[in-house]
Amino acid sequence: MAQETQTRIRAMATRRAFLARFASGIFASLIAPAVASDVLDQVEAASPERPGIDLAPLPELPEGLNGQHPIERMIKDLRRALQKPVDQRRWAMVIDLRKCVGCYACTVACIAENKLPPGMAYRPVITETRGTYPNISRRFIPRPCMQCENPPCVPVCPVRATWKRPDGIIVINYDQCIGCRYCITACPYAARSFDSGYFYSDFEGGSPQPYELLPSPEYGEGRVRRRDASPVGNVRKCHFCLHRIERGELPACVLSCMGRATYFGDLNDPQSLVSELASRPNAIRLKEEMGTEPKVFYLV
Amino acid sequence: MSKTEKILWGIALVGFLVGIAGLIQRFTGGHTVAAYGTYVPWGLWVAVYTTLVGISIGSFLIAALGEGLRIRALQPLTRIALLTAFAALAGGLLAIWLDLGHPLRFWKLFLSTSPTSIMGWMAWLYTLYGALLLVLIYLKWARPASPVLPPLFALGLALAVIFGGAEGALFGVVSAQALWESALVPIRFLMEGAVSGIATVLFLAVLLGHLNSESGRFLRWMLLGLLLAVVVLEWSEYSTTIYAGVPARVESMRLVLFGPFWWVFWIFQIGLGLAVPILLLALVGERTVWLGVAGGLIAFSSLSAKLNLVIPALVVPELDGLQMAFTGPGLSFDYFPTLSEWLLAVWIVSVAALIFLAAHRLLPAERARPA
Repeated sequence: MAQETQTRIRAMATRRAFLARFASGIFASLIAPAVASDVLDQVEAASPERPGIDLAPLPELPEGLNGQHPIERMIKDLRRALQKPVDQRRWAMVIDLRKCVGCYACTVACIAENKLPPGMAYRPVITETRGTYPNISRRFIPRPCMQCENPPCVPVCPVRATWKRPDGIIVINYDQCIGCRYCITACPYAARSFDSGYFYSDFEGGSPQPYELLPSPEYGEGRVRRRDASPVGNVRKCHFCLHRIERGELPACVLSCMGRATYFGDLNDPQSLVSELASRPNAIRLKEEMGTEPKVFYLV
Repeated sequence: MSKTEKILWGIALVGFLVGIAGLIQRFTGGHTVAAYGTYVPWGLWVAVYTTLVGISIGSFLIAALGEGLRIRALQPLTRIALLTAFAALAGGLLAIWLDLGHPLRFWKLFLSTSPTSIMGWMAWLYTLYGALLLVLIYLKWARPASPVLPPLFALGLALAVIFGGAEGALFGVVSAQALWESALVPIRFLMEGAVSGIATVLFLAVLLGHLNSESGRFLRWMLLGLLLAVVVLEWSEYSTTIYAGVPARVESMRLVLFGPFWWVFWIFQIGLGLAVPILLLALVGERTVWLGVAGGLIAFSSLSAKLNLVIPALVVPELDGLQMAFTGPGLSFDYFPTLSEWLLAVWIVSVAALIFLAAHRLLPAERARPA
């Protein structure tokens, strides 16, 4: 009897430990974006041009289900990459379509981070529906910029306003862009947007709201959007939150993903989580046949 | 001033005045007044630009063939062809300038030209071509016996062929747009441009009394031959694409042939732009009036071929489901020009017409010898 009770207590203890661990994992996943971003916002990390500067301590995140919490690991991966020369980094993203629940948190986080105007989303989430009712299935496909290794959008620009950085991220110089939109037609993923000049207040009447006049951190420039100045009239695109990366922070879409479906890191680092995930046999890329060599991988 | 000329001035001035509303809206509302945006980034103004540039190339061909290759039948039309080429080029460049997100940065096209961009090359080719046109206009009127005229016209002929093809290549190299990516597109641009320009000169020459019977006969058969060549090219493009069945290309073609704007293709591009002119030129082309009608029909419907190339490629989503992924202004795969876009297009064409008419007044061309 006593032995049976002890066995039950041990079992309960094991279950409790499991539940506690499981719950902490879920809880961590849910609060991680807020916690991490809050902590990370205070981080004055080394910029790629200033390696060696002390980084703020990593946020205390609970251990993940399989050991180290993925956010913690990705931040470590990122900061390790920042210690390398910029041309030795290869930023990449892995999106696990089996985990994406189509919550659009990444889309919203991106808009909030980059202060995007109406009609502009650097990372829309495509809903793919297959079959006919009631035998139907759906999957969600977030679509950031693919940061192609062979970007078709770059060579068509007539004024060299867009280029691939040494770390592989495709960027735009808003002061150089003439707004011809040729690059938009050249992108096979429709990942470039034209800033026509809309403000949310255009649809509500009145002048732009205070939140529309907040400076955008894009490219570290802090531009305040105005009707008569860039980036209005320019082409814009996802840049993997370059301004955050250079501060040692993960892109907004990665932190906001509540299903932990989006991973980010250095593909040139075999120890990094994205490197590990991108090498899995179930990793695919969109429109491989175009020869663009995207650096966004999807796990299917 | 002849009665016809007065009517042309009246139409151009009305178009200019009405179109000013579009110009004002463009400058006060920026690009929010237009229906194009992120998913369909190019619209009516790009189609107008390509059409007018095509007309310029075709018009210049008449002058260059007459003076550069010494085709006597075309020589009486040299002056009107040069003026048409210049006015159409000015209109085309005005259209694309107003289409830019930052028109005042156009100078970057010259100071920061990317050698890998066809559009970058085009900026220089246009400049070279425009300068050559001005020189030729000056020489033709001020020093018509100048020995440099024939070689300059020959140079212009080569330039027109090169940048006429390059204009098509600007679309043909875009592998992301299935409808555009075709080796036939540069050739189609060149042929369609030649047809529309020659037709415009024919139309204006008939209206303004510059067409003699020899020129008329030559243009009739030349135009008929080019129209038949366009038929072959279009048939080749459409039939092989549909048979091959590459989904994105077929979808674009389906939209052209049977989509909501099927009438642009069947009525304007095929009916008024090809079939009727072919019949007129073949059956009653010996009469000047019908030559003028055929030329006018081709000239006025030439926009349809460009609309059917520029727009249908862009309205097919690059990724299935993108149309519903995120919505907002500019995020639509449906495109129909707004009133502002139409008004500005009218203004641009009117400006080109006024440039032509003013040049025609200031620099009179030869009138046809009475038969």
